[in-house]
Amino acid sequence: MLSKNILNDFPVLSRTIKGNRIVYLDSAASTLKPKPVIDKLSKFYLENYANVHRAVHTLASESTQMLEFSRKNYANFLNASEHEIIFTSGTTMSINLIVESLVRSKILNKDDIVLTTLVEHHANFVPWVRLSKLHGFRVEFVEPSLRFGTLAIEDFLKKDINPKVVAITGHSNVTGQLIDIEKIRNIFPNSILIVDGAQLIPHQRIDVKSLDIDFLCFSVHKMLGPSGIGVLYGKSQYLETLEPFLYGGEMIDKVGVEDVTFNVLPYKFEAGTPNIGGIVGANYALEYLKNIGFDEAKKHILDLTKYAIEKFRNIENVEVYGPLDESHCGILSFNIDGIHPHDVAHLLDEKFGVAVRSGHHCAQPLMNVLKSQSRLSQFPNSTCRASFYIYNSYEDIDILIEGIKKIKEWFDV
Amino acid sequence: MYNELIMDYSKLKKYKGKIEDATKVEEGKNLSCGDEITLYLKIENERIVDAKFEGIGCAISQASANLMIENIINKSIDEVKTLIDNVYKMTRGEEYDKSVLGLIVELKSIKDYPMRIKCFLLAWKTLELSFK
Repeated sequence: MLSKNILNDFPVLSRTIKGNRIVYLDSAASTLKPKPVIDKLSKFYLENYANVHRAVHTLASESTQMLEFSRKNYANFLNASEHEIIFTSGTTMSINLIVESLVRSKILNKDDIVLTTLVEHHANFVPWVRLSKLHGFRVEFVEPSLRFGTLAIEDFLKKDINPKVVAITGHSNVTGQLIDIEKIRNIFPNSILIVDGAQLIPHQRIDVKSLDIDFLCFSVHKMLGPSGIGVLYGKSQYLETLEPFLYGGEMIDKVGVEDVTFNVLPYKFEAGTPNIGGIVGANYALEYLKNIGFDEAKKHILDLTKYAIEKFRNIENVEVYGPLDESHCGILSFNIDGIHPHDVAHLLDEKFGVAVRSGHHCAQPLMNVLKSQSRLSQFPNSTCRASFYIYNSYEDIDILIEGIKKIKEWFDV
Repeated sequence: MYNELIMDYSKLKKYKGKIEDATKVEEGKNLSCGDEITLYLKIENERIVDAKFEGIGCAISQASANLMIENIINKSIDEVKTLIDNVYKMTRGEEYDKSVLGLIVELKSIKDYPMRIKCFLLAWKTLELSFK
C-alpha cells in the first residue's frame, strides 16, 4: 500500500451508488482528480488567468509564466529540453500531428514501411492505416504470439524489414502488458521510434534521452490532471525540420501573401490559443504524482494487479487476457463465459458500486486476436476492464471479485 | 433493469435464427461494443408475417430484440412504424402511448442509462433501416 493516506484527496470516493461506496476501477479510461490539484487550478482561474504570450499586463505575464513553468517541469520529468515539449489536446492529436507532419515533410514517403502492432489502441493505429491509403506508405503489423494478446520480443524479429517508423504502445490499454521499449529500440536502431505512452506515463518516469525515443505522446487526464491536454515530446532534430500540422496564430513568424515563416520551437506546433488552464493543471498533477513518487505508485499498482490476477484464478469460466507475470500492470481485462461485458459492467455498478469499463476499448484489431484464442462459448467482441490506480486498495478488488461471483450466480453460469 | 421478465426475454430462443425465404434481411451494428444483429423479415401485403434475428449481444439488446419481434409479427408496416415512434419517445423520456408498446414498457427505465440506450435500440434501428 502507499505510505501516504491519499483517500481524503479524492472526495468522490466517499460517495455511494445505491448504498454502496464507489469502487472506481476505470482509471485506464481517465483518472479521478485530487482535490489539491483542483484547488490550485481553481485558484489559478480565480486569480491569475489571462491569455498567454501576447499582452504585457500582469495577469498575462503570470499566466504565461505558469504555462511555461509547466513546460519546464515536463521537460525535466522526461529528461528533454523545454523546446521539445509541445502541448496538444491529447495522445490522439499528438499521433495525428506526427504522422501528418512526417508525410508533409517528406520524411515518410511512398513505399516506406511503418511497423506497429495489433495491440495498439485506435489512436496509434487508425492514423497509420488511413494515411497509408492516402500517401502510399506501407504499414506492417506485429502479431502477438503469447497468451491472449501478449507481445513477445521475438514477435518483432519475425519481420525481416527495415521500417522507417516504429510506432508502439509502451503499455497496452487492454492486456495491461508493459512493453520493453529499450529492447524494441535495440532491434530497430535506425527507425524513427514513436512511443504511445498514454497508459505508461501515469506510473512510470521515462527518460527519452537514454531510451533514444524520437517521439513520446501521452494525455494528462490519465495522470490526475484535466482532460483535453496532452504532451508530445519530439526530438528537436525532427521538430526543427517537420512541417507543422496546424496553421494559424502563435505558430507563425512572418506572414505575407507569397508565403509565411514559422515561429521557433515549440510554438511552431502550438497554433491558436492553447488550453491554458489544462497546461497549468497538468503541472499541478505532475507535482502531486512526484510528491507520491512514481516508483511507489507503480509498486502499489503492480501489487494490486498481482493480487487481482490471483483472485481471478479461483473463479471458474472466466478468461483473463494478457500476461500473467510481472509485465502485467494495472489493467485487467476479462470475460465471463455466457455473460456479455455490458451486463457485467452494468450490474457491477448498479449492485456493487464498482465502476469498470466494457467494450472494445478502442482496440478492435486486438479484440480479433483475443477472439482467435478464446475458449468462451461465444466471444463477445469486447471485454470488461478493471484498471487500478493509486487510490485503489485490496478491498476494492475483493468487492469486484464478490460482485463477479454474484453476477455469475444470477446468470447461472 | 435486470428484472425477471427482461432476463427471461434475453434468453428466449423462439425468435433466434434465420428465415430462409425472408423478403428483407438487414444488418445492424453497435459501434461502441462490436455487437451485431441480422434481422430477417418476411413481409407480405405490407404486413410482417414472420421475423427472426441472429447475432450476439448483451441481455438488454437480446431482450429488446425478442420483445420487438414478438410485437411486430402480424402487424402492418404502418402499425410497426407507430410502434417504433413510441419506442423512441420512451427512450427519450417523452410522452408515449403505453397501449401500443405492451411488455416493452418493462424496459422504460432505459432512458436513465444513456450508455445502454444503444444496446436497447440496436434491433429497433435495424428494423427502421429495413423500411428505408
